[in-house]
Amino acid sequence: MLKYKGELAKSLQPGGSLEHWTERHLRYLMLAPTVLILLVLTIFPSVYMFYAAVHRISPNPDLPWEFVGTGNFVRLISDPQFHVAVRNTAVFTIVAVALEFVLGLGLALLLDRYIRRLSFLKTVLMIPMMLPPIAVAITWKIIYEPQFGVLNEIMFQLGLPVQAWAGDVNLAMFSIIVADVWQWTPFIFLLMLAGLASLPVEPYEAAALDGASSWRQFWDLTLPFLKPVIAIALLLRVMDALRLFDLVFILTGGGPADRTKVLSLYIYQVAYRFADPGYAAAISLFVLFVTIVLSTWFMKRMRLAE
Amino acid sequence: MATIRTRSRGREMLLRLSAYLTILVALILTLFPVYWIAANSFKFDIDIFAVPPEWLPRNPTLKHYDEAFIQRPFLRYALNSFLVAAGTTAISVTFGTMAGYALARFSYPWQWRKQISFWILSTRMMPPIVSIIPLYLFFNYFDMLNTKSALIIAYTAFNLPFATWMMKSYFQDLPVELEEAAIVDGDTRWGAFLHVALPLARPGLAATAIFCLIISWNEFLLSLVITLTEQSQTLPIGIAGRVTQYKTYWGEISAAGFMACVPIVIFAFIVQKHLVRGLSLGAVKG
Repeated sequence: MLKYKGELAKSLQPGGSLEHWTERHLRYLMLAPTVLILLVLTIFPSVYMFYAAVHRISPNPDLPWEFVGTGNFVRLISDPQFHVAVRNTAVFTIVAVALEFVLGLGLALLLDRYIRRLSFLKTVLMIPMMLPPIAVAITWKIIYEPQFGVLNEIMFQLGLPVQAWAGDVNLAMFSIIVADVWQWTPFIFLLMLAGLASLPVEPYEAAALDGASSWRQFWDLTLPFLKPVIAIALLLRVMDALRLFDLVFILTGGGPADRTKVLSLYIYQVAYRFADPGYAAAISLFVLFVTIVLSTWFMKRMRLAE
Repeated sequence: MATIRTRSRGREMLLRLSAYLTILVALILTLFPVYWIAANSFKFDIDIFAVPPEWLPRNPTLKHYDEAFIQRPFLRYALNSFLVAAGTTAISVTFGTMAGYALARFSYPWQWRKQISFWILSTRMMPPIVSIIPLYLFFNYFDMLNTKSALIIAYTAFNLPFATWMMKSYFQDLPVELEEAAIVDGDTRWGAFLHVALPLARPGLAATAIFCLIISWNEFLLSLVITLTEQSQTLPIGIAGRVTQYKTYWGEISAAGFMACVPIVIFAFIVQKHLVRGLSLGAVKG
């Protein structure tokens, strides 16, 4: 492939041998800092967490860690709060991502032909997902506010009963999901538009000649062509949904009656409010395990590492 | 024949009309919450609580901006946010660019290229909540809790894989022939990277840096765990701190929240061409 011209001449220059060595090992030298930093920042915490998970750690730093073996993991099985958190996380992830996907894909299909010339508007529609999640959370907190919030004003104008929204046992999770859908539907929309823009034209012309209905074209052509983009969009959204924290922290704090307590929030509470880092580490390992299984499955399927 | 044509033209008109209508509704739904936080930040408390709501601030005031940024340390929080974001971006973009280039151009024994790319991507998938406990204990041990350096280190853990993948995808798009020509002309391999590939990848470099800035600026959970006082607390933490169990300082958080959004919106417009790629970690080229 690449040949070094004047290789010999360079190695004969003063200091040339170091330069030569650098050149020869460039492929490793350029990669090394990133690999080392990431090893320290990810492998170390993971190993350390295994270590923490088999101990009972006192909030008092002077007390030694007490080895409890699998004790923290056994606790997981019989901890009703943990089960609630798993269920809430699953409900949130499935419902929010499904809604975002259907809305995002639907909007992309409907608007594809019309919005291409309106790239300015496209960028405006993308704003929500770039905003700080905390700013999004307080924005929806103001909108949901039961006494003076805009949403209840609209309900009142429509002659519907006003609600406590994020404060209502049955509506709290729904309120979180709406805020998340508001923020992340544009993400699916944007990726689907990119996918649609790269579709080949010929198969559609052939299908139109064969008299295929637009519904058939969608199922037999558009959807299969979009599959790789859909896989990436879903992978990133599911990974993000599993780590939901900010919205819940501000809008509900996990309440009312633990209806919005998701795994991230529960780990945070166990570690800091209940001062039990060992048990929190055990829950974290569970989350890490689920994340690795899901993301590996997704990435293998779409051969993202190619 | 004629009737069919008019019918399909009518259908086309209808489709177009419904598309523009949908865009309009989507724009309103997208922009209203942003408008509303801005509007509330310029209202007196009594007007924020008004029922029915005051759609336009009747007596606009900068009172809450004064409260937040002059009387309370929100300027400090913003500065911390900026310093941390700049620090982690500098580290991530520097090393990520080199690693991304290496993974895009060089071959490695034993399929390392694929394995390492995959591993780097998987570190990006790691939920932050999973690393907060070890990071907390680690920073505690080294007496680094409540410092900006601790935040920069923690943020690098997810910005560096991002930068690597973004730059890898940009370098893969560049033709290798230009670098080969430079080497034939006597440049070194490193020189070809520095003098040929890097300048060509400049737009990608800028986009990657801006995305790193945005991701760090927006981060909340790690900052919540690592920082304790205004010496290192970032803007999102400052905002969340004004939502207490007993009282929510609506005006103040609206002002600070809106100000936190402003740079992001500007950035979004700068990187609009790169949005698709940035948001899909380089996987989809928009």
